[in-house]
Amino acid sequence: MKHFKKLTYPYVLWSALMIVIPLILIAIYAFTTDGNTVKTLNFTGENFARIMEPTYLNVFWKSIKMGVITTFICLLVGYPLAYMISRCREEVQGLLILAVTIPTWINMLLRTYAWMNLLADNGIINHLLTKLGLDPLKMMYTDFSVILGMVCNFLPFMIIPIHTALSKMDHSLIEAAMDLGANKVQTFRKIILKLSMPGVWNGCMMVFLMSISAFVIPKLLGGGQYVLIGNLIETQFISVGDWNFGSAISLLLAAVILVFMMIMKKMDAKDD
Amino acid sequence: MKGLKRFFSRFYMVLCFIFFYLPILVTVVFSFNSSKSLTSFTGFSLRWYQELLGNGEIMSAVYVSVTIALLSTAISTILGTLTALGLSRSRRFLKEYLLNVNNIPILNPEIVSAISLMLLFSSLGLPKGYWTMLLAHISFCTPFVITSVYPKVRSLDPNLANAAMDLGATPFQALIKVILPMIRPGIFAGALLAFTMSFDDFVISYFVSGNGVKNISIIVYNMTKRINPTINALSTIVILVIVAVLVCVNIIPVIRKKHRRKESSYARHRKWAWAAGGVAAVAIIGLVAGIYSASQGGKKTLYIYNAGEYINPDLIPQFEKEYNCTVVYETFESNEMMYTKLGSGDSYDVIIPSDYMIERLIKEELLQPIQWELITNKDNLMDAVMDKSYDPGNVYSVPYFWGSVGILYDTQVVSPEDISAGWDVLMNPKYKGNLYMYDSERDSFMVALKALGYSMNTHDTEQIEEAYNWLITQRDTMEPVYAGDDVIDNMISGNKALAIVYSGDASYIMSENENMGYYTPQQGTNIWYDAMVITKDCQEVELAHQFIDFMLREDVALANTEYVGYSSVVTSAFEEMQKTVYAGINAYVPDTDNANDEIFAYQDTQTKQLFAQLWTKVKAK
Repeated sequence: MKHFKKLTYPYVLWSALMIVIPLILIAIYAFTTDGNTVKTLNFTGENFARIMEPTYLNVFWKSIKMGVITTFICLLVGYPLAYMISRCREEVQGLLILAVTIPTWINMLLRTYAWMNLLADNGIINHLLTKLGLDPLKMMYTDFSVILGMVCNFLPFMIIPIHTALSKMDHSLIEAAMDLGANKVQTFRKIILKLSMPGVWNGCMMVFLMSISAFVIPKLLGGGQYVLIGNLIETQFISVGDWNFGSAISLLLAAVILVFMMIMKKMDAKDD
Repeated sequence: MKGLKRFFSRFYMVLCFIFFYLPILVTVVFSFNSSKSLTSFTGFSLRWYQELLGNGEIMSAVYVSVTIALLSTAISTILGTLTALGLSRSRRFLKEYLLNVNNIPILNPEIVSAISLMLLFSSLGLPKGYWTMLLAHISFCTPFVITSVYPKVRSLDPNLANAAMDLGATPFQALIKVILPMIRPGIFAGALLAFTMSFDDFVISYFVSGNGVKNISIIVYNMTKRINPTINALSTIVILVIVAVLVCVNIIPVIRKKHRRKESSYARHRKWAWAAGGVAAVAIIGLVAGIYSASQGGKKTLYIYNAGEYINPDLIPQFEKEYNCTVVYETFESNEMMYTKLGSGDSYDVIIPSDYMIERLIKEELLQPIQWELITNKDNLMDAVMDKSYDPGNVYSVPYFWGSVGILYDTQVVSPEDISAGWDVLMNPKYKGNLYMYDSERDSFMVALKALGYSMNTHDTEQIEEAYNWLITQRDTMEPVYAGDDVIDNMISGNKALAIVYSGDASYIMSENENMGYYTPQQGTNIWYDAMVITKDCQEVELAHQFIDFMLREDVALANTEYVGYSSVVTSAFEEMQKTVYAGINAYVPDTDNANDEIFAYQDTQTKQLFAQLWTKVKAK
């Protein structure tokens, strides 16, 4: 299998050109002043110093919190579903996984508009509630609506990797555990959960990364007062035109995420 | 006991799928809405399906979205799988490096990847279009494939391939017959994720494409001001097609299998391979055909760049026919996005930006003077829209639409006395939690500065500080929602009593919801103009002037203002609309006699940074 080593070479080349070089460009912006041109390099740390203001730190904190909550809920909802799907017949499994994915092929903006429609003060759900003689609920522009929107959008990215990990699991292992006297909880914890761990990490990582930098969903379902990092970066690049500050924020975000992933990797390694 | 468990698991699954499909159901239902709204259902109609079929722009976007998604999925799946296979055998350093680099496209906010790829393509001198979009999609899809496949490869027994080779298989055979079948679920999951990411991508696609190449998302996002159910109709058709394909692919083999149980699974796999090959072949043939039809030579080509949903779509083919030319028409979501793309070296002939942006483009010497002797219809223009501060004497620009910013209010809820307080009604505790502010620092500070009696173009830091405190107080006492263009649909449904809106949007909202009124405060407001300009590096100067002249023709201007709903700059069209479509709707007629009204001036980066920072503080508590 030594031959397979060469298989990485195309991607090494590709990633250098399409990922590393663009990242270096962003890093140069983050450490320089002077508008949108990198012709004259004036190095500075000022862009990073600016982030240390309480407002921005607060935005960082809020984004991380939202990312963790969304990831946790996705895991809580997604794991049982992935597990149930993996227990179906093989033909049905494929269909169900597709059924989970298809909604994401409908434009995200449209799906978010549909949620606005459902949750609005004069929306469909409140309409039904008043018909049933109940008081209307205030759902739009709250933590609830934002998390709901994010979970609905990112859940497939949790379910697919977990299902992948579970689907090819050797069922004789479970039987063996049972035969050796493990009860159901023990079997689940020590065998099933452990074997599906790579999928769980993968899913958590993808959902966390996507939700920490999301900005369209929070903006529409939470209102403009829902400033998250993604939003902050977007504003810097597009409406303010301050690419240097925007690059600095995104580099810092990348650093924060790397720290998170290192912690996860440590835990993953412990599991092995 | 077992039955109960089974019931619970079924129940849970059904619940989850309801959660997934509820928004889709709403999308489908609204594709049959008789009005433009996405939030209030007014009656059944098929008009959006009709409009969809007649809309060439959307149809070609479908083509781009589908082929890009298929090609990038295929390529990134192959590239990603090979890399994942090699990775497990690589040296530790290379492995760590690749796995970390691989995470960058996933963890970078899309806008950062988009800008960095745009910079890359510009510096490489690649012309932006279909191919740059494809490259970018492969670049952000591959990491998802690697992330899905690599754990599967890692869990493989390393002796498997060796065993196969000991038994006489070549490395290639060992790969195809032993390894690939073992990691198939990972490859399948990776491909599914890649397709999903590619099909729904907007930000990256927008910044790396050009020359008229658009995918569905670009069209939807640039429609934000007037999203209409055409896209819902398209989504409904997409769902139907997917369901039909799934039924064919999944049900038919099951039925067949019941008849002939013996069909070997090997043959079935071969069938899958054939199907995949077929799809790829169709995609490539379509691609070639698409390129051919795009490069029809001979005629002159005019590149126009305008805001989304800001022209009557019938007018472009009409212009092409009358002047025997081809128009490449692209849209932007905001002036700033337009400026960013322009700065990356994309070239256009005619652009239609707003006043303050025109001032900036003039200062940066990106425009060329208008040759007014070529504009035969110049006398159709109203005097009221000419010679404004952003371009004195209209040296560089020809007005397109104009309007004001004002307060839209629910006449059933807000009393006339309250609204006559002007901007101060936004501080009236009666309407606490019942109003929308506009999520833009320029418009919000305009409101605060005007409420305090200052100029909205002030540079006085004390005045700005005072306006900032006004906004903070308003935030704490009134609990407003800071909304973007979604305010239009929300106000049509009457979700709140007060909102800050542009006059053109107000006219539209008022024509859809008759309870709404529009008020421009005496304290003064922002009067704005959008105008046509010709870029310095314009290739077809004569044709560009002909286009501007065409837009000023009385019949064309009328058709345009009727469709867009913004106030026309052509006298006859402006007057005609006040008598017909917008009779009695005051928002269509911007004030021209209030001395307190102003036009936005260009802000240098430092001022903009200050306002942006203060605005973030207002919003983020």
